Amino acid sequence: MGFLDSILGKTSLPEAKTDRLFAISTAAVTLEASLGLKPDGAAGVCIKPMESSRYEAARTEIEDLLKLSFKETGTLYSIQKDEYNYIWVVLSDPDFDDLVTNIQMVCQTLMEQGFGTQLLAAVYRFKGDAIVFWIYNFKLGSYYPFVPQSGQKRDTSQEFRLKSLMEKELPIEKDEAKWYPMWGMPL
Amino acid sequence: MMKWKSDRGLEARMLLTMILLAVLYLAFLAVLLSMNTSSTVIILFMGGFMFLQYFYSDKMILMSMGAKIVSESEEPELHQIVSRLCAIAGLPMPRIAIVNTSMPNAFATGRNQKNAVVAVTTGIMQQLNRSELEAVLAHELTHVKNRDMMVITIATFLSSIAQILVRFLPFFGGGGSRDRDSGGSFVVMFVVSLVVWIVSFILIRALSRYREFAADRGSAIITGQPSNLASALMKISGAKVPTQDLRKVEGPVSALFIVPAISGSSIMNLFSTHPTLEARIEALKNIERELEA
Repeated sequence: MGFLDSILGKTSLPEAKTDRLFAISTAAVTLEASLGLKPDGAAGVCIKPMESSRYEAARTEIEDLLKLSFKETGTLYSIQKDEYNYIWVVLSDPDFDDLVTNIQMVCQTLMEQGFGTQLLAAVYRFKGDAIVFWIYNFKLGSYYPFVPQSGQKRDTSQEFRLKSLMEKELPIEKDEAKWYPMWGMPL
Repeated sequence: MMKWKSDRGLEARMLLTMILLAVLYLAFLAVLLSMNTSSTVIILFMGGFMFLQYFYSDKMILMSMGAKIVSESEEPELHQIVSRLCAIAGLPMPRIAIVNTSMPNAFATGRNQKNAVVAVTTGIMQQLNRSELEAVLAHELTHVKNRDMMVITIATFLSSIAQILVRFLPFFGGGGSRDRDSGGSFVVMFVVSLVVWIVSFILIRALSRYREFAADRGSAIITGQPSNLASALMKISGAKVPTQDLRKVEGPVSALFIVPAISGSSIMNLFSTHPTLEARIEALKNIERELEA
């Protein structure tokens, strides 16, 4: 099917896989207990915006929901555009479970509105000796670690170590070639 | 629910063109094989040649274009744009190359998704803003995704054999043979080859234009912003006269360029590998309307 589609020049974007997004909430316990990596109170969802009034409507709905959840959980949010024109919903909350719930809510809303294909990644920030990001790629349906260093370099050895230590707890992307870095994240 | 419809009309035209090509080629093969044994040798020889071209096409094209593969540290911005597009489209990350020329252009090559190379010229990087460059890269990534290199290689294979026969048959068959039978078969073969060459030429051009539309569409879908590609195309086509030698940029590569190297209104639509700018912009506008529908 996929081959025939490509021969006929049909383009469709893979749907977002959110089933394993939640895995971070249990993994966070192990990350803190055995690796000393604490949730750093910030998370975000990266979305490829679309030229469509319906997309704007979805965005408004997400903002309304976020305002509501701010009243309930006290999660702060901001919507930002990065230098590559991707939209970020940035959340900050010292309570990790609230972060996870709200990230889930943002993704859910976007998917219900039919923009699941526009979801790129969800990112959770952790802090130990260095800042560690766990990036969830919606197309792959898996996590990978990203440890940025100054000057657009990444600490690959630390990332590999995190992979081998967390493999059992977290669905980690096996193909390291797909561990795309994300520089200049607004969180 | 927001869903991308597929362009049934375009797919149908593409399929029809491919079927016509296949029928034409099968008939051609039947004639070739029934008439002359030396043509089998030509087919085998050309087959081997095309096989090599298919496997080394990426290196050959990069070399002939003077494209240089760049690493992530050399061109972090390009890599970041492409890696995000690949993540959205679920594609493996291609290698990225840069051609040092003021002519604004971009192309994709490589026999499959894993061996793909996406190249841009320094000219296009200077002329376009980031969103437009992103749209162009998404267009090239769609070429990779759609396996256009393979489709065009297969489509041109027997056409090139017909072309060779038309050019060289006179040397083989014409002069020396006094035998009437072989003279007659020579004429038939020459005419058949000529017809196959001309018809396949037109079909390949049509196919190639359809694949451009498909790549434009893919770019719009991947970026979510059809207007970016439209403005990129307008900017590029309004560019200055190319500085590159015609012989350097002509040939099979031209089919995978974002704008053809040889442009000019004098070339009839039927014979050009790329659709006109107006048709492409119009198609992008339609996609934009689809987004709102």
